[in-house]
Amino acid sequence: MQGAQRGTRSWVSRITPWAESGAKPLSHPGCHESCFCQWWQSLHRTMLRGVLGKTFRLVGYTIQYGCIAHCAFEYVGGVVMCSGPSMEPTIQNSDIVFAENLSRHFYGIQRGDIVIAKSPSDPKSNICKRVIGLEGDKILTSSPSDFFKSHNYVPTGHVWLEGDNLQNSTDSRYYGPIPYGLIRGRIFFKIWPLSDFGFLRDSPNGHRFSDD
Amino acid sequence: MAQSQGWVRRYAKAFCKGFFVAVPVAVTFLDRVACVARVEGASMQPSLNPGGSQSSDVVLLNHWKVRNFEVQRGDIVSLVSPKNPEQKIIKRVIALEGDIVKTMGHKNRYVKVPRGHIWVEGDHHGHSFDSNSFGPVSLGLLHAHATHILWPPERWQKLESVLPPERLPVQREEE
Repeated sequence: MQGAQRGTRSWVSRITPWAESGAKPLSHPGCHESCFCQWWQSLHRTMLRGVLGKTFRLVGYTIQYGCIAHCAFEYVGGVVMCSGPSMEPTIQNSDIVFAENLSRHFYGIQRGDIVIAKSPSDPKSNICKRVIGLEGDKILTSSPSDFFKSHNYVPTGHVWLEGDNLQNSTDSRYYGPIPYGLIRGRIFFKIWPLSDFGFLRDSPNGHRFSDD
Repeated sequence: MAQSQGWVRRYAKAFCKGFFVAVPVAVTFLDRVACVARVEGASMQPSLNPGGSQSSDVVLLNHWKVRNFEVQRGDIVSLVSPKNPEQKIIKRVIALEGDIVKTMGHKNRYVKVPRGHIWVEGDHHGHSFDSNSFGPVSLGLLHAHATHILWPPERWQKLESVLPPERLPVQREEE
């Protein structure tokens, strides 16, 4: 790769050597520089090499940046927009927050963390709730007005999630504890609206569990 | 001296360029397209690991097929264990959402699989930690679809999606 080719990335050029290299003219014995030969040569040199080379380069860059984006979202974190009223007043509808995925991979999710998880009844949608109990915890499941208190123990490998807006939240009180493997990341910082910029507050509902 | 330094710098630059291209692409491929894994345990005998501890099968796990969480009854799938998130288990899909299964060893005799869940079982009944122990599993825990056995070479085969006839669901969800 010399001359004009020095700026290109070497691995892209290796895929399309015939397009990038200075190919020898397509002539055959008996061709006397006829009109067709000339037309074919100019087509090959300008259009095919230019367009095809550019297409391959574009595809290559798209794949590369797509892979970097996947690695960033999967292993580090990303920006998420939350919708729904189930985490008010901590997170309002259409707030933009920053979620990190390192805690999930190192199994560092604590009680009181706000997490994003895959919904147990619809794997393609995400839910955003607070962790109330980890495995082994005893959760109070009866409402405060009940006379007889009922408790549930969170099974191994599961977590108990509840939204901060207890009246308007479909959470573990409805579908039970969810497996830890469904958790995608931990939300710890709010970006938008700017009036609420900063780290997220503790639960407004106090403690509804007792450690065992 | 200036020449040797230029040589080192050029190599370092090429290495960094290659590294930042190759590593994300490889990681994305292994996470999203396909990877290989060794099967341990006897819960899927005789389909997988018929030799027990002498030889473990190595299977090809296809992530691309389950990117939309579409599985069929009889598929062999790998999923995150609901009891231990650090471990992945490999089992056969017996029933999809809406089916009613007759369980073997579960606390309820008949279970209707809820929406967004599947019922998985190992082929070696009685030696398998599966839905008969922990109930239906959420589709969000689905990891990959095991399509082929790659090693040992005498066991090269495509894994078929067949349901054992005695494990057909009692009632299927009508499409």
